[in-house]
Amino acid sequence: MTFSRKDNGEETVLAIEGALDAVTAPDLRPTLDALVAEKRRKIVVDLSALRLIDSSGVGAIVALFKRIKAQGGLVQVAGLRDQPLAIFRLLRLDRVFTS
Amino acid sequence: MIHLRLPGTLRYRDLAVRVVAAACKLVGKDGDLQKPERAFDDEVVSAFSEAWNNIAIHSYHDQPLGEVQIEIEPDHDQIWIRIQDFGASFEPARVPAPDLEALPESGLGLYIMRSFMDDVTYQPGRPNVLTLTKRLPDRVRSAGRAAGVSRRGDRKK
Repeated sequence: MTFSRKDNGEETVLAIEGALDAVTAPDLRPTLDALVAEKRRKIVVDLSALRLIDSSGVGAIVALFKRIKAQGGLVQVAGLRDQPLAIFRLLRLDRVFTS
Repeated sequence: MIHLRLPGTLRYRDLAVRVVAAACKLVGKDGDLQKPERAFDDEVVSAFSEAWNNIAIHSYHDQPLGEVQIEIEPDHDQIWIRIQDFGASFEPARVPAPDLEALPESGLGLYIMRSFMDDVTYQPGRPNVLTLTKRLPDRVRSAGRAAGVSRRGDRKK
């Protein structure tokens, strides 16, 4: 899993590639914590290059969503396809993150 | 039949998942049956991933390193996977269904397995035995029968 963060004004794009799972999700935690600590207003999680996600990876993104929302911010997910899209649809998260 | 024996840690998760993903591509390849949907592979891989997580994170938690024995049988109209571990057992009936409206951050593994597979069975013991079965959609199987592909019937274990 690799990821990149790009800030543009109040918006941050967090692009995640590869597999976000029980093995790799802990590597992302410091970056997610930083986004919360900085009280970013809008975060777009770009998953267009994500090959695989599991419940641990979903948990990391959902936790980010809840924490940012509690601060009055917004988290959106973009680029869902294939296996990650199947998981998001099953868990009814596609509507939560793309509305 | 594909046999795989690996240490039950997250380190070997990706290797196991890749083998299952490759096995999925063998389903429906004999005769005229065509498996048109990537969704089949995605759902099997998702379910297996959660099974592996449960073993590595929960079953072998605070226990000596244990082994996971995997058997995979990709058939002409289904895939069957048996996963055995020698760690702590759990009671699936005691695992509550997640409240998806509450946006849970954990406790989704068994739900994903049950949702994506046609059959999920778990027998606690030594070893714990988890079986996952997923069949091709009816329309694909019907098309295969119409094309003359004989059906061997579902596996009974």
